[in-house]
Amino acid sequence: MTDKPLLKIEDLAVSFPTSGSLDHRVRAVNGLNLSIYPRQTLAIVGESGCGKSVSALSTLQLIPTPPGRYDQGRIWWDADGQPCDLLSLSEKEIRRVRGNQIAMIFQEPMTSLNPVYTIGEQILEAILIHQKTRRAQARQIATQALTDVGIADPHARLDEYPHQLSGGMRQRVMIAMALACQPRLLLADEPTTALDVTIQAQILELLRKLQRERGMSVLLITHDLGVVAENADTVAVMYAGRIVEYGSVHDIFSQPLHPYTRGLLASMPVLGKRHERLTTIPGSVPNPADFPSGCPFHPRCVDMKDDPKCTADDPPLREIHEKHWAACWHTPGHNQAQTTTPDLSYRRPEAAPVV
Amino acid sequence: MTNATTTAPQTPSPAPPAAESRNWLVRTAADTVSRLGAKIGLTCIALIVFCAVFAPLLASSHPLLIKLDNQWSSPMLKHLTPTDVILLVAFVTAVITATLRRVNPTRRAWVFFAVTLIAVPLAVVFVNPPRAIVYEQYREAQAADRVEFVLRAPIPYSPIDRLRDQFDPDQPHPRPPSAQHPLGTERNGSDILSRMIHASRIALAVGFIAEGLALVIGVTIGGLMGYFAGPVDLFGMRLVEIFRSIPQIYLLLTFVAFFGRNLYLIMVIIGLTSWVGYALFTRAEFLRLRKQDFVQAAIACGLPLRSILFRHMLPNGMAPILVNISFGIASAILAESVLSFLGLGVIDEPSWGEMLNQAVSAGGGFYWWLATFRGLAIFLTVFSYNMVGEAVRDAIDPHLQRTPT
Repeated sequence: MTDKPLLKIEDLAVSFPTSGSLDHRVRAVNGLNLSIYPRQTLAIVGESGCGKSVSALSTLQLIPTPPGRYDQGRIWWDADGQPCDLLSLSEKEIRRVRGNQIAMIFQEPMTSLNPVYTIGEQILEAILIHQKTRRAQARQIATQALTDVGIADPHARLDEYPHQLSGGMRQRVMIAMALACQPRLLLADEPTTALDVTIQAQILELLRKLQRERGMSVLLITHDLGVVAENADTVAVMYAGRIVEYGSVHDIFSQPLHPYTRGLLASMPVLGKRHERLTTIPGSVPNPADFPSGCPFHPRCVDMKDDPKCTADDPPLREIHEKHWAACWHTPGHNQAQTTTPDLSYRRPEAAPVV
Repeated sequence: MTNATTTAPQTPSPAPPAAESRNWLVRTAADTVSRLGAKIGLTCIALIVFCAVFAPLLASSHPLLIKLDNQWSSPMLKHLTPTDVILLVAFVTAVITATLRRVNPTRRAWVFFAVTLIAVPLAVVFVNPPRAIVYEQYREAQAADRVEFVLRAPIPYSPIDRLRDQFDPDQPHPRPPSAQHPLGTERNGSDILSRMIHASRIALAVGFIAEGLALVIGVTIGGLMGYFAGPVDLFGMRLVEIFRSIPQIYLLLTFVAFFGRNLYLIMVIIGLTSWVGYALFTRAEFLRLRKQDFVQAAIACGLPLRSILFRHMLPNGMAPILVNISFGIASAILAESVLSFLGLGVIDEPSWGEMLNQAVSAGGGFYWWLATFRGLAIFLTVFSYNMVGEAVRDAIDPHLQRTPT
C-alpha cells in the first residue's frame, strides 16, 4: 500500500519586519519540516509565540503579505495524486483550496462567527461558494452538518444568530461550517482553549469521531499536552520557530528527548499526585527579534551546564532513534545520528489510550 | 452518518426571547424608529416625499378631471412629465414591496430597484406631455360656461402659472397670504405653496442622489483602504486629503460658471466632494474589523474578496456610516439651497433656495411671506434629517443608555 503524505511542509521560513524598520526582518518560522498523512492527527505543541499558528496559517496563505513574507520552502499538497505547491498558487487558486479541501477552525468561537448573519446564512455561503448546488440542497447539507456535530434541532438553529448560542455550541457550528464541504485536512488552531473543560472534552471527542467517519487528517495546534495525549498520532514540539522534537505520541510521552519537551511534560499537573508547586520552565520564549546565539533554548535549558557548544551552534534536528527526531546537543546519541527530514506515517490503533 | 443524539450537547442553550432573534440592522432600525426625535424627523421626511411624489396631483393648473363640451378628459394626466411618472411608479412599487412581508428584504429591495430602473427609460420614451402648455384654456372655458363638471387639484395653480392676473392694477404681486393663495404669491404672480410643493423634489433628489454617489464612492475607497491597509491606505489617504481640501462651494461656483446651471452637475459635484467623510469612517471601521476572527474565518473559508468586504465587513462597520448618511443628506440640501440662493442654481424648476433669493431681490420692500415659508421648509428638512441621524446614533451607541421615550 502506497502511503503518501497528504501535506508536506518543506523547509518553510516565514518572516515579519520588526516594528519600525522595514529591512530588518525576523523569522517567525525557520526551516520547518513536517508531513501529515491521510487519517493522521499531527499535533504541534509549544508555548505562545513559537510559530505554531504561523505554520498553520501559511498552509492556506493566510499570512498577510506584506508585512509577512514566505522566505523559503514549499508546502506540498496532494491534490488528487498530483503534488502541488500551495505557496505558489494564485489568490484565486488558493481560494478554491480554502474551506473546500483544507478547512480551518479558530481558537475563539465567540468571535469567529459574523454577528449580523444567521448560522444558516454563514454555513450556506461557504457551501454555495465551493459546491455547485441549489440553495435548498445546500440547506440540507447544512442541516446535516449541524446534525453531525451534535446540535439538536438543527432546522431551528439554522435561523438563529450567533449571539443566541453558547460558546460550546458556537464551536460546534464552526466545526460544522468547516466540515460542510468535506475537507481532507482540518487545521484546528487551539480549538478548545477558549472553552471550559467539560465542553473541551466534548468538542475533542466530536473531532475524533468526525475524523474517523470521514478519514480526514487533522493538524492540531495546542499547548495542552493532555489534549495531545488523547488525540494526536504524531507530535511536533516547536520552539522559537523550529521543531525541536518530532515523533509518535508514544515516543514523545514515554521517552522525551529534548529538555524543552521534558520541561513541558514536567509542568503538567498530575491528578492524584501531591505537588508543592508546579514545575515550570524558567524564563520565557525569546523575542524573535532577539534570538540567543546557538541553540535558542539554551538560556532556559537545565541540561546545558555551561557547554560552549550550546551557545555557539544551533543543533540540527537528527533522527536519534528510529522515527524519533530531536534537536539538542546533549541528547544521548545526537552525535552519531543522521540529519534526516522528519517524516512519520504512524497512526495509533483506534481507541487506544496512551498515558 | 451516525445518530446525532449520541453526542447531543449537554449544555443548556439559553432560550432566546423572540425580539432577539432578529438581524442587528432590523433591531437598530426598530430602536431608531421608537425614539421621539426619529418619529418627528421621519414624519417630516415622509411629508416631503409625499409632496414630491404627488406634486402634480396636489398643485396643478390642469384639472384632474373635466367635462368640457360634453367630453370627459383628464388634462392633469395628459400633462404628466416623465419625472412625474417615474416618481409615481417608484412610489407605488415601494408601497407594494414594503407590504410583501414574507419575501426576503434583500430581494424586495432588488425588485424595487429593478422596476424603477426599467421605468426610467420607458417613461422617457413613452411619456410625451404637450410642449406648449396653455394654462388659461380651462379657466377661459369655465368663464365661457362650456364646462359641466370640473375636479381641480387642492391648489389649482402650477408652479409656473404666472400670467393669470398679473396685470390687475388693484392687486399688484407679490400678494400676501390669502384664501386664494394660502402662502401668498411671488412678484411674477406664481403661487408660493404650489412652487414649494414642486420644489420638494429638488430637495429630495439632491439629498439622495448626491449622498448616494458619495456613499458608493466613499465606502468603496474607504473599504479597500481599511482592508488592505499598508500602501493602499497610504495612497488612499492622500487622495482623501486632496479631496478634503477642495472647497465645495467654490468648486460649485466654478463649474456653474463654466458649464451653466445644471441640477445634475450640481448633484454630481456635491457627491464627488463629500465622499471623504464616508471613506474615513469606513476605513476606520475596516481597519478595526480586518483582524477580527470572523473576517479571518471568512477568508479561511475561501470566500471571495467582494463577499468579505461587502457582506461580512460592511454590515458590521455600518454604524458610523448610517449616522453620517442623514447628516450628509442635510448638508447636501443646504449646499444646493445656498447655491440657488446665490442665484446659481436651477432656473426652470422651482427650488427652495432660489425662492429664498427672490425674497431678497424682490425690491420695493420686505415681503415677509417670501422669506418665511421657504426658510422654514429648508430648516425643517435639514432639522428632520439631523433628528433621524441623532436617533440612529443613539440607537447604535452601546454606551448610551436607552432613554425612555
